[in-house]
Amino acid sequence: MHDKFKNAEVLLQIKDLKIEGYSDETWVPIIKGVDLTLHRGEVMGLIGESGAGKSTIGAAAMGYARDGTRISDGSIEFDGMELTTASEAERRALRGSRIAYVAQSAAASFNPSHKIIDQHTEAPVHYRIRKRFEAQEDAMQLYEQLRLPNPKEIGFRYPHQVSGGQLQRAMTAMAMSCRPDLIIFDEPTTALDVTTQIEVLAAIRDIVDEFNTAAIYITHDLAVVAQMADTIKVLLRGEEVEQAPTRQMLDNPQEDYTKSLWAVRSFHSEQRHRPTDGTEPLISVQNVDAAYTGGVKVLDDVSFDIYPGMTVAVVGESGSGKSTTARCITGLLPPMSGQILCKGEPLPPRYKDRTRDQLRQAQMIYQMADTALNPKVKISEIIGRPAQFYGGLHGPALKQRVDELLDLIELDPAKFYSRYPPELSGGQKQRIGIARALAAEPEFIICDEVTSALDQLVAEGILKLLDRLQQELGLAYMFITHDLATVRSIADEVVVMQHGKVVEQGPKDEMFTPPHHPYTDLLLSSVPEMDPEWLTTVLEERGVDNIGEAADT
Amino acid sequence: MSTFVVLYYTALIGASCLAAYYEKRSVFMLIFSLTLVSFVLGIIGGVGALRFVALSAGLLALAAGTAYAFREFLIQISKPNLAKELRTAPLTAAFGMFVIFTYAIAGIFAPWIAPHGEAEVIGQAFQPPDANMLLGADQLGRDMFSRIIYGARNSVGLALIATLLAFLMGTMAGLFAAVKGGWFDQVMGRVADVIMSVPSLIFALLMLSIFGTGLHVIVVVVAVIYSPRVFRLTRAVAGNIVVMDFIEAAKLRGEKDWYLIRREILPNATAPLIAEFGLEFCFVFLLIAGLSFLGLGIQPPTADWGSMVRENATLISFGDITPLIPAGAIALLTVAVNFVVDWMLFRTSGLKEQ
Repeated sequence: MHDKFKNAEVLLQIKDLKIEGYSDETWVPIIKGVDLTLHRGEVMGLIGESGAGKSTIGAAAMGYARDGTRISDGSIEFDGMELTTASEAERRALRGSRIAYVAQSAAASFNPSHKIIDQHTEAPVHYRIRKRFEAQEDAMQLYEQLRLPNPKEIGFRYPHQVSGGQLQRAMTAMAMSCRPDLIIFDEPTTALDVTTQIEVLAAIRDIVDEFNTAAIYITHDLAVVAQMADTIKVLLRGEEVEQAPTRQMLDNPQEDYTKSLWAVRSFHSEQRHRPTDGTEPLISVQNVDAAYTGGVKVLDDVSFDIYPGMTVAVVGESGSGKSTTARCITGLLPPMSGQILCKGEPLPPRYKDRTRDQLRQAQMIYQMADTALNPKVKISEIIGRPAQFYGGLHGPALKQRVDELLDLIELDPAKFYSRYPPELSGGQKQRIGIARALAAEPEFIICDEVTSALDQLVAEGILKLLDRLQQELGLAYMFITHDLATVRSIADEVVVMQHGKVVEQGPKDEMFTPPHHPYTDLLLSSVPEMDPEWLTTVLEERGVDNIGEAADT
Repeated sequence: MSTFVVLYYTALIGASCLAAYYEKRSVFMLIFSLTLVSFVLGIIGGVGALRFVALSAGLLALAAGTAYAFREFLIQISKPNLAKELRTAPLTAAFGMFVIFTYAIAGIFAPWIAPHGEAEVIGQAFQPPDANMLLGADQLGRDMFSRIIYGARNSVGLALIATLLAFLMGTMAGLFAAVKGGWFDQVMGRVADVIMSVPSLIFALLMLSIFGTGLHVIVVVVAVIYSPRVFRLTRAVAGNIVVMDFIEAAKLRGEKDWYLIRREILPNATAPLIAEFGLEFCFVFLLIAGLSFLGLGIQPPTADWGSMVRENATLISFGDITPLIPAGAIALLTVAVNFVVDWMLFRTSGLKEQ
């Protein structure tokens, strides 16, 4: 237990909680006996990979079991009230007023057809804590504290008129509207860019401190939890691994699993440099401008080269044109001007005009493996089809090739050959996506945020695999990402993009040593570090009031 | 007080006590409120009303029992994967499947099941039921039962062919519209709008009076009338699939449209399409029955449920229920198909019961 809270009153006490989920006509345990004690004003970080039961515990703290799950055993005591035996009406009276919830995707959680402030005032008016006008005044005050621009006016907009980071802060304000005793943050910054994340983190931390609210902060990002939490609890497959105060947990983790989580960011591949013997670049993007039909320019004079066997990381916030560049290279979006050369020869702008061999050269691996693999097609056909299509393989030769590819991505052919994508885990699906790209025997692969939807341990496995394949097969990667930690570990060259323009580019070692372009600097300094004091330090350096504007420019 | 009434109340009260003892709250509430309602019913309607209640409950129990047994039977004979799905089927769906199964048997083996030919005159007009003619004779003295059996073959078979054709046209147009987009999509969409803007019965009557009432004409006209609905559904479903990354990956590989449709889109669209097939089948069936009733559908002497209702309609004024038998056959099939479709829609939409 954290010393600071030794004398504080216990707010939430969960004892031996067991939750079961219904699947395949039986109840299987999801949470296998977890204890949790939260004091007033304490912030507890729950971390673990997906499927560890973090969000399920978060929901259980409100006495809520999601559809298809049930609380089978244990007790949840909130401020002296037992939630497992309380009636639905009693539990409902707590939610919103005394326990609030901030969801991962604010954009999906706000009702798009009501103004933000109307949704904000709903709870206080419903519980008769405040009159509508008082609640609106209060909302504006909260918006100001959370450093939202135009606090007097922003609430009267609709959710789609506000940016993602601002919406996430508005949601935090909404959770605060009744001054609850406990707020559950369920991955509030996972969907945000690093530069936006930092504003939201700072805002959440300040407001939780100010009102002495207890919070459960659910995330899979260790560096984030290190900034936010007083205590950290590590979960694995529904069981507690260990719990300790943040500082102690970071410095001296006890369990092997925790140590492996801490060590994740240690992977580094050796940096390669451009060949100096006059080899032509494999892919050369030259002065490309592009726009979607009738829209404004999304890409403005983008140029960079990718040499054989090298990894070029393209970084930037969402909306900076990273993925659009990839669409221009693959030919899905013909550029307005400029051209794309492949080994010195210009590629036709539209993919339909390209030859089979040109199409084979450039393969893609997608961010969401769920939508990138057809759920109704067997693994053997997903991987086999490109080999059949380009290589003309049939029968035993095709089967042998698929087995080879499965071996290459470290999945057992005997086990996976005739399975379907929904039966696979996220990491396995991403491996199948890689195998499909490899089946075409390309020289160049575009990796579009391939690790951002995965847990850190799994993501590291994918990065190692990609690195090994690059060395064995001499592939060139264009690695689109917003995660600078990934860039640091596998890139050879870095291209920084902002508002559709290339801001800075060069070899990794140069890019990561000052002096930087101001935008690169902002990106780099916004990446959370494992040091619990990191956020405080950054805020001091930038000045608290400038943080919002720093990210907007 | 008759023994029936004594037995009736004893059974009800006994059952409610048992339900209460085993803590089946909803069953208890149902049975005991039925008991209370029966007191009132018995006073107003006498023994007859109680007999009716008992008979309905018996029929319901019989149907439920049949459905349950049929579901178990299907689970036993099917493969493990299918058996797992079937186990989730509610009794209504199992009952629907049982009815469809019975109709299919009746339709396929009609010549062997029916005791007489469909156009064979064997008695007097409107002869009452006897051992030879289970349901009596129709207006020309043909066996009603045999005609119902043959009707299953003709009406259902025709509706099935028409629905299949409508689906073939609708899905193909919808899938190509979704994949190709652009002007092809626009043209198909406007054509569908034009067909849908004309009331279907009037459109059918118009076409049939122009082209005559041959079976192939009926099939084509009905298929054309119903294909726009299928087109719209398919296009909407496929429209959600073509934006997925795996379609983009296949396009970038250089795959042709036909491969995209056959291997990538269709497997993901089958569930809603099958459910829609069931629904459309009901509408098509009713439209053909309606056309037959109006005299423009299947022509005599071919047995058809729709025209059988019309031919025997005069009997209803004499208090005879004979014309209601083919009507009932139509209603039962429609309800049965809807039960099965409801279950399928429920499964594909992923809705959960609260």
